[in-house]
Parts: sequence; C-alpha cells; structure tokens
Amino acid sequence: MDAVDDPSNPKTAARTKRFLSRRINDIADSLISPSDVLQIERQTSQPKPARATYHTPHVMDKRHPSSFQQLEKLGEGTYATVFKGRNRQTGELVALKEIHLDSEEGTPSTAIREISLMKELKHENIVSLHDVIHTENKLMLVFEYMDKDLKKFMDSRGTGGALDFITIKSFMHQLLQGIAFCHNNRVLHRDLKPQNLLINNKGQLKLADFGLARAFGIPVNTFSNEVVTLWYRAPDVLLGSRTYNTSIDIWSAGCIMAEMYTGRPLFPGTTNEDQLQKIFRLMGTPSERSWPGISQFPEYKPNFHVYATQDLRLILHQIDQYGLDLLGKMLQLRPEMRVSANEALTHVWFRDLAQLRMQQQIQNQQQVQMQQQMMAGGYGVSAYQ
Amino acid sequence: MDLTSLSNPLVTLDQLSSSSSQLDGLSTELENSIRFGGVQLTEAAGVLLRLPQEVIAQAVVIFTRFYTGPEGGSFLINPVKDVSAASLYMIAKISAIPQTPRSVLNVYAYLSLTAPKSRMDAPSDRQRPDPESHYLTTGAYLAARTTLLQTEAMILRALSFITKVVVPHHLALTFLQTLGVLPSPPTSKSRALAGRTISHLNTGLFSPQLLYLTHQPTALAVAAIYVAAKEIGVNLPCSEWWEVFDVDREELGFLVVGLGSSRLWAEQESRKWVEGKCPLTVEEIMLEMERGREVQ
Repeated sequence: MDAVDDPSNPKTAARTKRFLSRRINDIADSLISPSDVLQIERQTSQPKPARATYHTPHVMDKRHPSSFQQLEKLGEGTYATVFKGRNRQTGELVALKEIHLDSEEGTPSTAIREISLMKELKHENIVSLHDVIHTENKLMLVFEYMDKDLKKFMDSRGTGGALDFITIKSFMHQLLQGIAFCHNNRVLHRDLKPQNLLINNKGQLKLADFGLARAFGIPVNTFSNEVVTLWYRAPDVLLGSRTYNTSIDIWSAGCIMAEMYTGRPLFPGTTNEDQLQKIFRLMGTPSERSWPGISQFPEYKPNFHVYATQDLRLILHQIDQYGLDLLGKMLQLRPEMRVSANEALTHVWFRDLAQLRMQQQIQNQQQVQMQQQMMAGGYGVSAYQ
Repeated sequence: MDLTSLSNPLVTLDQLSSSSSQLDGLSTELENSIRFGGVQLTEAAGVLLRLPQEVIAQAVVIFTRFYTGPEGGSFLINPVKDVSAASLYMIAKISAIPQTPRSVLNVYAYLSLTAPKSRMDAPSDRQRPDPESHYLTTGAYLAARTTLLQTEAMILRALSFITKVVVPHHLALTFLQTLGVLPSPPTSKSRALAGRTISHLNTGLFSPQLLYLTHQPTALAVAAIYVAAKEIGVNLPCSEWWEVFDVDREELGFLVVGLGSSRLWAEQESRKWVEGKCPLTVEEIMLEMERGREVQ
C-alpha cells in the first residue's frame, strides 16, 4: 500500500517535519538570494486577511472625476500626468495621477501593475492609494497628497542640495523601511530615485511610483533589464543581468544616500557604458577574482579600464564612520554582497536616530519660541533705541 | 516559511452560491458547460500564441473570476470569446511576454472557425481552414480591437484591478524537490510523477467546483502531488507530509476528490458536445436554453 496513508508515530512525524522544513529553506535559498527574503516579517499592523475578496465592482464607480477639484499640475511622467487635487466633500488634498489611455494597447501595463500592487502595499512609508476612478476614456489614481519629492526638497534647501545629517539619517531609515516592506512582500520597486521619494511637511518620506515595480515569486523569472533610471541602476543590471533581485533597490538607496550628503548624483552617467565607468572609477573595476563569474555577463568587456577602489570619504566629507560603513555595504558591486533592507535597518548608524529626532524637535521648538520672543520684544528694542 | 505572498484572493460564499448568469436564467449545468468551453477556448488560444502554461493558467483564472458571483459578468451579456481574449491579452501584457492585439485577435478569428473538439488535438490532426477565411480585414480588426480593449477595461473594473494570480505549478515542482522525489538525473518514474502532477493542476483549471478560486496554490500543489504519487506508485514520506506545507487533512481530502472528479468531468464534457458545438455566443446560449425548455 501507499506509504502516504500510513499513520505514523508522532515522533517520526515531528522529525520528518523538521527535516522537510529545513529542506524547504535550503531549496528556497538556492532559488532566491539573499535568503532573508523568505524570512518574511509581516507588519503586525497588517493582519493577514483570511479571505480577500476581489469583487467590488461598484465601489469604484461611485466616485466620479468631478468629485475632485483639479488644481495645479505637479508633474508629468512618461505614462501619466499628476495634478494636485482637492476632495470636494472633505476638502482633503490629494494627488491625482491621470493615466493616458492608449487607444492601441488599452490600459497601460504599468497602471495595471501599479494599482494591483498598491492595493496590497499598505505601509506608512509607501504612498497610499485612496481610490481608482475608471471611466470610458480616463483612468485616474487618487493618492494621498505629499508636499514635495526628494529632488525638489533638496533643491529648496539653499545648501546646494545637501541635507543636514539628522534629516539624512531619518530619510534613510524611512526609505529602508519602505523598501523592506516591499521586499518582505516580494515586490521589487525597480525605479528608486529622488523624484520617486515623496516628502511631506511632517518630515515623512514615502515611496511612490510603482509603475515599474513587479512581484517576484519562486523561482525568480528573468526580468527585462530595462529598469531603473540609469544613475541609480545597479552594476549587475548594467552588465546585462536578468536574474537580479531585491539587491537592485539597495544599490539605488545607496546612491540616494550619497546624493543627500553632496546634493549631487553620485554616478551621473550618460550611457550604459559611461555609467559603468563612473561606478568603477569610484568603486574600483571588478575582476574575475573580486567577482567570480563577472566575465559571463552579456555586457562584460575584457578591456574595461582598470581603476583602483577610492575612499568614499574623499567625496562625502561630512559622513561619519558608521554612515560610511552602511553606505559601503549598500554600494557593493556584487549583488549577493549587498546588505538587505532588513539588515540595514539594524545597522548601528541608526541607533541614535530616536535621540537625534528628539533633539531636533526641541531645537525647533526653541527656535519658534525665540522667534516669538523676538517679535514680542521688537518694540522694546526699538523703544530702547 | 511564510507563504502569504504566494496566496490568492479567494471567492466568498456569496459569490459561490449565485452568479450573474444564474440570475439571468441560466441553469447551473449549462453554466458549467459554457465555462468549460470558455476555459478550453482560452487554453487553445494560449497554446497557439505559444504562451507558457503559467500565463495561460493565470488567464483562465481571470476568465473564471470574471463570471463568478452575482456582481460578476454574465454569459448572456458578456460574450465568452471577448472575455477569454481580453483575459489572455491583459495577463500577457503584464507578463514578460506581451502580445499585440493583432496576434490575439488573429488567433481568436482562427479558433472561431475550428470545431471545439479539434482545438486540443495536435496540429497535424486538425483540419486547417483556408487562411482566407479567418483573415481579419483592417476594418474588422479595428472593430475587434475596440471590443478587446473595452472588455479589458470591464474586466479590470469588475476585479477591482486585482490581477495577481499565483498559480501552483512552480510551487508543486519545488515541493516535489523538497520531498526528495525528484532525483538528479531524473528517472522515468520521477519524470512521470512531475508530469502527472502538472497534468492534474492543468485539469483542475476546468473544475466546475472552481478549485482555483476556492483554494490557495499551496493546497492545490499538495493535492496534485498526492493524487499523482498514488497513481504513479511513488512512496512519499510516511508522516503527514502535507502539514509541512500548511495544508490540513480535511482540505487535502476535499481537493483530492475535486481534482479526481475534474478529470471525469472534463472527459464527460468533451463527449457531451461531440455532436453539437458547446454554445459560446450569446445567441447560441439563448438557443440552447430554448431547447432545454422544450425538452422539459
């Protein structure tokens, strides 16, 4: 008879279960790296829905585009135009992303992916999708309103784009939290750049624009290598890898961290080759010895100019020892050497974040108080004169 | 190992107990037959487009979801062919191998001329119709494309844009590896086991019990392995191995019966419409309903 039906003693069962659990992890490891992708830590605030329903056809038809007052244009992307908007009923500010519907291809795949993913990704560091309005000739996504993107935020600082170290640490922590949540839910963002990170007046940072994002499963399919704006693109992708994973988002995060210190993009390449060269000039040109298998990549050239590794401190004068260590772990050329988002969040650099935030708050309060005193005392001063 | 990200939205009890088609007067029996015909059409189109089975299976699930529940689509209002084509077009679009509207519509024009029975046969057995007969003129193509894109928008609205479909095929192979029954190099038995497991998963797509809409991919994978191992005669670990994959005995039992009966059901349906065509257009369905009333 079939062994399957044998009622076995509990001891054997427990042993088999342990054995199998271990094997699952082994196999999963061989399919996806880094392995921590599989140790999913669900946010406790997000109870897993036992049975999600997908049929809510009428919910979305209730709202009409006219229920939002369209205000000024915020930006124009490749497949959408974003407007500031106001909910006519509640007065709440929103961002309205109007998708251009293609008469030849129908609803853009980017929009289908983005909506499908955003419905699942609810996190305080990911911009939230309130509503979808789908009419005959229009598709409009209603997002929570954020004041600026990181690029504009940096430009508005009057410091040549550079940010102070508390803001950098706070933004990096939020960025990594958003990325970790995506990766724990098996979503790659694939297009992280300052323009896709939104900032509000409360100092919150949220990931936006999931048009290029996609879910990944077991095993990881080969992806298109036409992802991520050139400047934030990982070297493995530039070399033509199609089996990249979560580590590509970490590379982008590293580039963004460096940019916050200097106000300038770290690797502003113009072409694929130029981008690689800019990376190698700073990080050193990899070889078969430092990166086994590198010569197998489609875009690998044996005649890459050989550069020695530079010290990142030469460019980032203000960075401290711990920050430099974390940045180094994110900007690893070999994807499997890059730190994961979950690991990065436990880095010692973030240890004093809560304390720094508190100090900053007190400073801000004092500043406000001082300003008020100055205003109040203004007459006194002039009277004294 | 947490598998929540490998899960699907499932239908509610309300959505299972009634459907738009039934509210429009269709009998459950005829509804099941039409769904079977629609799934078969989708599979055939996917094969002709050379899409991988994963993508085809996802399209079949989208097609099935659309017609489920009292707020879903109705076979008497939304033509099977249009929904099948739009499901396939939409799923391919968000996959790694998007298809042009032209290729999809050409395939459906071709399939509308072939008898349903021959759709699943090898190409050599097929009576190939004259290419002239299924050529889409520019005018016909533009009209068909408008319908395709409108139907796509309708499906997206009805499903609230939730287009994620995790199919159990890859999972089943990973589980078989985990169970240590796929040695390298493969033996004839291990090959048969893997093949049989995948076959059961594909047959399950036709199930009138909507197995893909009521059970998570892990459970489907485990049940297919269980049935296949029994049929091939492969011994699996003697303990309750399915519990490792978070599937309990009760669900496994239900699915084993469900998968087993899917096969009988598919054979039965194929025989049933041997003479006449399974009604797929709204007119054919109306005629069939008429005929059913006369018989009574």
